Amino acid sequence: MSTADASPKFRLLGGRIPYVEGPLKVTGRAEYTDDIKRPGMLYGGLLRSPWPHARLVSIDVSSARSLPGVYAVLTGEKYPTPFGVLPITHDETAIAVGKARYIGDIIAAVAATDERTAELAMAAIRVEVEPLPEYADPQTGLAPVTEPIHARGLAGTNIQKEVVQHFGDVDAAFAQASHTVRVRGTFAGVTHAFTEPMATIAESTPDGRLTVWSATQVPHYLHRALSEVLGIPMHRIRVIKPEVGGGFGGKSDPLPHEIACAALALETGRPVKIRFDREDVFLTNHGRHPTQNDVRIAADSEGHLSAYDIQAVLDGGAWSSFGTVTTYYNGVLAMGPYRVPNFRYRGRRVYTNKPPSGAMRAHGGTNIRYSVEVALDELAESIGLDPFVLRERNALPPNSTTVNQLRITSTSFRQCLDASRVRSGWADKFRRLPFGEGIGLGCGFYISGSNSPIHFTPKMPQCTVHLKVDMDGGIAVHSMQADIGQGSNTLLAAIVAEVLGVDLDRVHVVRVDSDISPVDIGSYSSRVTFMMGNAARRAAEELLATLLRAASELCGYPVDQLAVERERYVPRHRPEVAVSFMDALHKAMEKVGALTATGAYSSPPMGGTFKGARAGTAPAYSFAAYVAQVRVDAETGEYHVGTIWAAFDCGRPLNRLAVEGQIEGSIHMGLGQLMGETMSYRSTRLMNPSLLEYKIPAPQQMPRVECLLVGQDDPEGPFGAKEAGEGPLVATLPAVANALYDAIGVRFHELPITPDRVVRGIEQRRKEGRPWKGA
Amino acid sequence: MRSMSPPRPLRLTLNDRPVETSCPNERILLDLLREDLNLTGTKRGCDLGTCGCCTVWIDGRATLSCLTLARSTEGHSVTTIEGVSPATGLNPVQKAFVERGATQCGFCTPGFIMTATALLRDHPHPSRSEITEAIAGNLCRCTGYTKIIEAIESAASGDR
Amino acid sequence: MHLDPFELYRPSTVEEVVRLTRDLGAACDVLAGGTDLLPNYKMHINLKPNLVALEEVEELRSYTLERVGSMTRLADLDRDTDFARAYPGVAAAVHEVATPLVRERATVGGNLLVETRCFFFNQTFPWRQSLGFCLKADGDRCHVVPQKERCYATFSGDLAPALAAVDASVELAGPDGRRTIPVLDLYDPGGDGIRRHRLRPNEIVVAVSFPAASRGLPANYQKLRIRPTFDFPELGLAAAGLVESGTVRSLAIAAGGLETYPRRFDEVTRPLVGERLNETNRNAASEAIMRSVRPVHNTFLAPDYRRRMVGVYVRRALDRLANGPPGVPG
Repeated sequence: MSTADASPKFRLLGGRIPYVEGPLKVTGRAEYTDDIKRPGMLYGGLLRSPWPHARLVSIDVSSARSLPGVYAVLTGEKYPTPFGVLPITHDETAIAVGKARYIGDIIAAVAATDERTAELAMAAIRVEVEPLPEYADPQTGLAPVTEPIHARGLAGTNIQKEVVQHFGDVDAAFAQASHTVRVRGTFAGVTHAFTEPMATIAESTPDGRLTVWSATQVPHYLHRALSEVLGIPMHRIRVIKPEVGGGFGGKSDPLPHEIACAALALETGRPVKIRFDREDVFLTNHGRHPTQNDVRIAADSEGHLSAYDIQAVLDGGAWSSFGTVTTYYNGVLAMGPYRVPNFRYRGRRVYTNKPPSGAMRAHGGTNIRYSVEVALDELAESIGLDPFVLRERNALPPNSTTVNQLRITSTSFRQCLDASRVRSGWADKFRRLPFGEGIGLGCGFYISGSNSPIHFTPKMPQCTVHLKVDMDGGIAVHSMQADIGQGSNTLLAAIVAEVLGVDLDRVHVVRVDSDISPVDIGSYSSRVTFMMGNAARRAAEELLATLLRAASELCGYPVDQLAVERERYVPRHRPEVAVSFMDALHKAMEKVGALTATGAYSSPPMGGTFKGARAGTAPAYSFAAYVAQVRVDAETGEYHVGTIWAAFDCGRPLNRLAVEGQIEGSIHMGLGQLMGETMSYRSTRLMNPSLLEYKIPAPQQMPRVECLLVGQDDPEGPFGAKEAGEGPLVATLPAVANALYDAIGVRFHELPITPDRVVRGIEQRRKEGRPWKGA
Repeated sequence: MRSMSPPRPLRLTLNDRPVETSCPNERILLDLLREDLNLTGTKRGCDLGTCGCCTVWIDGRATLSCLTLARSTEGHSVTTIEGVSPATGLNPVQKAFVERGATQCGFCTPGFIMTATALLRDHPHPSRSEITEAIAGNLCRCTGYTKIIEAIESAASGDR
Repeated sequence: MHLDPFELYRPSTVEEVVRLTRDLGAACDVLAGGTDLLPNYKMHINLKPNLVALEEVEELRSYTLERVGSMTRLADLDRDTDFARAYPGVAAAVHEVATPLVRERATVGGNLLVETRCFFFNQTFPWRQSLGFCLKADGDRCHVVPQKERCYATFSGDLAPALAAVDASVELAGPDGRRTIPVLDLYDPGGDGIRRHRLRPNEIVVAVSFPAASRGLPANYQKLRIRPTFDFPELGLAAAGLVESGTVRSLAIAAGGLETYPRRFDEVTRPLVGERLNETNRNAASEAIMRSVRPVHNTFLAPDYRRRMVGVYVRRALDRLANGPPGVPG
């Protein structure tokens, strides 16, 4: 269902374009890192810390080194240069130096003929440690501690980052407000749980080059980190990204094992493979931060929002990762899709001795969106407004600026509200369904590509796309954008084919390889469609110009009278002298041979001038309004989400198949965090590092999803498009939580909402003598 | 501690062809396929029997190669994703998966193809809930299963 | 992950199995479908140097409606509509085990003797090592109920309660010949919780047999877990019995997923036989059963909740028996 019909002027875009690598994936022929073997390849093993926090006094590797079949044993001192995804927070090392900071921290790496031998070698390593105090609770780390986890913690505490922002006058707004609401949200950590465990192969060759194959979302940041830590210039390192079996943010940091694997390859002169067991994946984590947020909202008697006052404490785990960004996002991503004139935020991210937290799909937006949207539901109820009306009254208009200087260009948020209200039959259902059944609204807002690249040196575009076409008529597309399953290769090929007018099978997106792919900063922050799409369009338009000039020469009509049709260029009203793509190509090649073209994208300058003003800026934003309908078994607390009406503004959807796929997958992942997924800790110990005990929802738990793509063209997006990879997740959780309230009259401020919590909530309400819908 | 027990001969039918190979007792079928026989279409997702990425058929039944000793297949028939894929083109289930966008990252896909192909062989016209139940041993983290179920329905109805 | 080396035996008769296990003594494990043993082996839990595989033993693989060989694959039972009509509660329990892919390998005998489970036990070697191991494997203390005497790992089979509710028996074979015992006698409520069964040394489960009276008896099985697939039971409640026009003619209730062994609650259900089932005695029965169980915090869901669900499930089980289908005789 959609109101934004694909424009007839597109042959491919706006339709349902099957993924170009689909045939390889359904036959098992798509090549993932662990499918690759190199001659003479060794296997790496990583010895992980059994201690949550310990000083490494000595590590004796002598007997491990002398075992037959063992080629190298490395400890942290060999490559002590710290790294991290953000240049301002380099606090990780490939292998622990001086201290182990969580159960799972890598303290030695081994290369051996096979994994079994590597394991025997690791068992032979003798580690002497001095145990240090263990910090599990981020609240403890807010005050000075006896042994800060990192020396860079704020003033003797474990605080990694503190953000304080204030726009307008929040206290005055609260003093004048007729209605206020406050909630404290508590969120367990969740993790990406992609199906492909991480894997890396590294090979150092006698010509002084190092080649690394890795399951990564961001080959470019890995490229940089390898160079920095290993001390090898980037031009002598080649990074190849094979097919990647999902990432969701979990493969976006350069990771220690990738560097350790390269270090083992340098040490041995042999190719080395490290592949993770599922437990390694859980211990590497970088998932969504366990979070506590406090949200206060002020409004007038008609429901106009006047202020947000937000605090957040984030459990960062052992390292920084993307954490500084996360700390900002947990505040600033509350600033849409509503106009809020006064805003105050204090966010603190605290190191603990747990697996590091990092970026996970809808990074920084999910938990704060949950608390805000649940609070708004409470606010609407206290004012006596329909939740839709409250949202409509406050919707940010197109071409506006938020109080913290986020530039909003296109927004179809109102259309999202209309679509989900009408399609869900809201008016007949809200507060009218019997006890145990409910309907709820939750809204979303997310960046369509971070405006700021993580690295600023040298100054360069965020994405570059190269095209090459030779006499065979095949168009090779090069870019370091990383398809991790979201369909970016398909979109890249489709944009090129669309602009040139050629059939899709002429276009081949070449596997990411830093030797030939121009830099794109990778798949994170929902940036690829917007940035790569624009770069691809520009590259294709440059190539088209060359082809049209050649066609003009051949047919004698000026370029501005040529129309692009399927596989040919046609003078207006003179189809009989149309020039085929191949003829135009061969003509254009006469003097220069193979044609090349390049396109790039840099986002425009934007944002305020205050500290942290870049955080949350993006060239566009997606919007969402989801309605969920649920049914609760009041005795067992089990509930089923029957339908989600997912109205989403991604601008113009360029590949409906992929946009729907992103929405459906996001809803599934959001439901996971809501219904049962949790990184379950006892103190610092992860209790459930397995896909059996980490509860990803089953097919039977998936609701019917109605995708309502109501976005209008974005002025700067490629062909009007915006992101659809992360924004579709955030509205899911509050929509279901608000539906649960409608069903049973219980507010949930702690995730996951497991059946025991539902039963407890119902019982509590009954005890308080507050019947709901007569029950 | 021994690294491995001595290899012993193993005879099985693999993708409809007789195969004579050898492996130690402790060789797991998934490792035999991927490491020894280079049939890498079968994926290792959790290695503990939960995710279904390693689904193969043993005597035609879809099951987990990560929880099967290679030597248990002595004298039996094993079919992998390579065995259900035609030499050129795709089988009807594979076609439906491609056309319906049922693959995203693709890592779970071979397992789903094995499960779905077996389902449609035994039940050419399953109901939606029969499909959902049948795939409830294969984890997908990308698609929310929606397009996978649609693809299987479409393959079943021949409506492609 | 990989397995440590072991010697593998694949005998073809029950007698050979018994002889082999006797010869190998404590240094061997019996391998049925492998879906429980092999994950534990991959995590290096309680490894033995010898495995005796049962899959080639023809006798164990055959089944009839009266007698189901221990190596019958769960998927084969699951597909059998005659079996579902004969023993609806057992069929429901079979259907709820793990996933369709697991059920193709998993066996009846394997599910009866499934290793008990615990957050501190079902973990990799380094994970367990980092905590100094536990009473059930390689260590000397329990981390769930801190002490050094008793293990609290949870019995997690689905079939045992369903079989117990219809008075099924298990046929065993050992060095001293064969014997048949009630299903629940496989388990040891008085034991240390570490050993999951009380088979005699070198004894194996040959078959499960059903009394004639249980054929077609109305029965049901309810399983508590977060997801409707994959997960082990956090509570599995089986009920079987005949309620005619509101009067209880026969009744049995059994549960697993709560303690170290499955249980039957005859002390609660027996007094109901001959009585008219009403809300009062139904609720009293559910209360009594709920009060008698003691789950601990070693699975995903909180023990107080699991306990509370015992009450809900017992009420629902009795209602379903009273209301007829599903589980109509015939």
